[in-house]
Amino acid sequence: MLTAVGITVFVALFLMAEEQATILLYLGSGLLLLLGLKACGLLDVLLQAARNNERLWTRLMLCMSLALILLFHEDHYSLFLLGTIMTYSVAVLGLNVQLGYAGVINFSAASFFGVGGYTAALLMANLGVPSLLALPLGGLASALTGCILLLPVLRTSGHYAALVTMAFALLFRVFLEVCPWFGGPQGIPVEGLNVFGLSFMDDLNIGGMDFSFYAQYDLFALVLLCLTFGFIRRMERSWFGLSMDAVRGDEIASACFGVSITRWKITAFTLGNFIAGVAGAFYAMMLAYISPANFSFSDSLLFLSILLLGGIGNSWGVLVATTFVVALPEKFQVIQEYRYLIYSAIVLLMIIFRPAGLLPRRVRSYTGGMA
Amino acid sequence: MSLIIQFVINGLMLGMMYALVAVGFTIFFGVLDVIVFSHGDTVMLGGFSGLAMYMYLQHISPELAPGWVLLWVALTALVSMALLGMLLAKTMIMRLRAAPALNTLLATMMLGTVLRESIRLFFPNGSNPQPFPHLLPDWSLEYGQLSLRFDNLVLFCAGAAAVVLIHLLISRTRLGMAIRAVAQDSEAAQLMGVNFSLVVLTAFALGCGVAALSGIMNGIYYNEINFSMGLLLGAIGFSAAVIGGLGNIYGAILGGFIFAFLQTIGAVAMPFSSAYKDVFAFSVVIVLMAWKPTGLLAEKSSQRV
Amino acid sequence: MTTHLLECTGLSMRFGGLMALKALDIHVDSHEVVGLVGPNGSGKTTFFNVVTGIYHPCAGKVMFDGQDITGLSPQDVYRAGIARTFQRSRLCLDLTVFDNIMIGSHKRLDLSFMHNILHRKAFLASYREYEETAAALLRALNPDLPSKLHHAVSELNMIDRRRVELCRALIGKPKLLFLDEPSAGMTHEETQQLMDEIVGMETGEAKPAIVLIEHEMNVIRRITSRCVVLNFGEKLCEGSYDEVTADPLVQEAYLGTEVCEDEQL
Repeated sequence: MLTAVGITVFVALFLMAEEQATILLYLGSGLLLLLGLKACGLLDVLLQAARNNERLWTRLMLCMSLALILLFHEDHYSLFLLGTIMTYSVAVLGLNVQLGYAGVINFSAASFFGVGGYTAALLMANLGVPSLLALPLGGLASALTGCILLLPVLRTSGHYAALVTMAFALLFRVFLEVCPWFGGPQGIPVEGLNVFGLSFMDDLNIGGMDFSFYAQYDLFALVLLCLTFGFIRRMERSWFGLSMDAVRGDEIASACFGVSITRWKITAFTLGNFIAGVAGAFYAMMLAYISPANFSFSDSLLFLSILLLGGIGNSWGVLVATTFVVALPEKFQVIQEYRYLIYSAIVLLMIIFRPAGLLPRRVRSYTGGMA
Repeated sequence: MSLIIQFVINGLMLGMMYALVAVGFTIFFGVLDVIVFSHGDTVMLGGFSGLAMYMYLQHISPELAPGWVLLWVALTALVSMALLGMLLAKTMIMRLRAAPALNTLLATMMLGTVLRESIRLFFPNGSNPQPFPHLLPDWSLEYGQLSLRFDNLVLFCAGAAAVVLIHLLISRTRLGMAIRAVAQDSEAAQLMGVNFSLVVLTAFALGCGVAALSGIMNGIYYNEINFSMGLLLGAIGFSAAVIGGLGNIYGAILGGFIFAFLQTIGAVAMPFSSAYKDVFAFSVVIVLMAWKPTGLLAEKSSQRV
Repeated sequence: MTTHLLECTGLSMRFGGLMALKALDIHVDSHEVVGLVGPNGSGKTTFFNVVTGIYHPCAGKVMFDGQDITGLSPQDVYRAGIARTFQRSRLCLDLTVFDNIMIGSHKRLDLSFMHNILHRKAFLASYREYEETAAALLRALNPDLPSKLHHAVSELNMIDRRRVELCRALIGKPKLLFLDEPSAGMTHEETQQLMDEIVGMETGEAKPAIVLIEHEMNVIRRITSRCVVLNFGEKLCEGSYDEVTADPLVQEAYLGTEVCEDEQL
């Protein structure tokens, strides 16, 4: 419990700090603390404790997120950052289902993120679809787009599968830019989220405290994240998760024991795309704008690197890595220019020296956590 | 009519440049079963190192004969990239041998980004396209409405010469035989006395040297280079190598020309935007993979069940 | 005329120019233990792969329990009641022992969305049952193993991994079990131990028929009631172990022919 509070305080201070020197100080001390904990074995104890009491931990994290939202109630920028972290987490959780569980290689995750966003944008702008409905429709569009790639994805493996999704990622961005329906390279504006008449684009005032309008988005994103996270955790801790892992582990052996390789790959791929699509639709609404710039091959690589950094197959790792990847460069203004470089170098070293990621995936426990 | 010929010439030039990149991909795969995705950025670096040498030469002896300039530029690019390739092989690729192949693909993708960003940040005015010098004479042969540029001809011949040289190296020399042996079965080759490290380093030097050549060709052909050209080139080179069958050098060359051919068809068929040619070409690649999951000239591999 | 459990007639398999199986006629009866022997490359594993659906034969028929299973997918063959182990132990190393065994029970698992995601209590109840079953199976082979039920398979040694593979094959209660060199990678003592365990296993109602590929002849002699010898994809002979080892053709296949003194010159 102490750790949870400690982490939240740290994150809050970090986000609040404006001075470069202060940021560096926080980062440095945080790192030192982590290393110190690891050296005296306390880190493993803490991690184990978190794992054993996952239910408690999850509730704590939830409270802390709410606390953060409250803390930054007026700060547009920090709240927007929080919202981005949560939305990206949802999208990468989808990628985790594809790659981490079923072993389906997807180098075009950002493209499906984009399909969701553009679908929502166009549906709301041209057909007047209510925003709440546009979210799952965006997901559906992504899933359907994924179906176009199903045949090559199912038939290929390894490098060849990478090529197929890579080719798609490349052509998708170009397609977005040249096709006139999508507003070209400038993109198109998107309506904000509007839940049962409550427009998310207006600032709030609750009990005397002013809230930036992003706070509402953050709350919604939190709900979305919790739903996705919970669903995926439960799925992993069931025969679904087992079947997907079997497909990833050894196709031939699993086939000899009745596991339908095709069915599970399709399920994982489509589910992952749906999740990414919903996240994309939400992101477009939060951003109030959508343009092809966010959905290039480099962005797909970004999603992949988040997954690798956090620990492939580990849902909590996704959250940690997303926070790291999104928040750090934004706060560290001095390295803004260099962030891609530094970031790629870190992931590169990670792949060479610690390919399991920051939080390696643990063995399956059917009864843990939110079971 | 002349338009068609123009397209054909353009396609051939592109095909040659792609083929040279694809050859690198296929050599690396043949020797180590890995995809080195940063290879496209090696091309870019080759161009930039040539440019750097040019700028240096301009600085110290601006009256140097263009033949010498060309030689120095090409040599710098080739040697520096060959050395880089060997360094890469030794420090990164060999280290990742035990890991699943996907890790090497991802690691080299990250490396590619590092290279790209490094040029963008550290090369003077790196984020803008850099004009590349006219290292070849500017003549053109006129034939009716058609004009054939001399430098294009030279470039094409240079590329073809490189291809022939590689073919001779691979098929006629002992080193080439060693490379082929390692590509087929690295353990057996080592048992037969082949120096594995030497073969790997040579293969990487060769592949990267050829990439450097492609980079220079790119620079001369388009009269400019920019830091981001490697990403698309890498994807195209990879596609071309796969189309031709990974591990098959002649397949890679064929794949390069096929891809250029697809792009040309795309450009002709959809003139309203030149960018659609890439959409078309990559779509065909995807369809091709659906039809033949291991490339046109399939990779010979089998699993022990 | 008794109907055999497994009956392969004229089974042929070709890989490009190589005939791996040449018009094989093999049958297995219920509860039998049949040894499948032959020099390396004689087509033993290929036979398993063809029957279990990994390869499609180019000619011939496979009848199992009255059903024509020729050319069916591996999943369908499994559902018909054939399970197998692999020469190169094919376990998912990063999954737990329990997970790997459960894969073997795949046809019995409730794979509906409701059961797995929503009806969590019911799911956990069935999970506990499976846990018991898997533990019981493991205990029959090695009383220490059930404690490692939720450990990753990568932590186990070779013989324990083989045991896990065996449990994976047995938990689905197959009618026919294919064992592909189960003793590969183990010492003589370990092999003996494992074979005793296999023979001594009480799997409840019906013991499956077993086809065993082995190179260790002691094992074949001890456990099997009948042997089939393959060579270059053809059936050389079949009979009891003693009959088969006395057969001159079999001896020639393994040991080669005697060269006459005068031919050497």
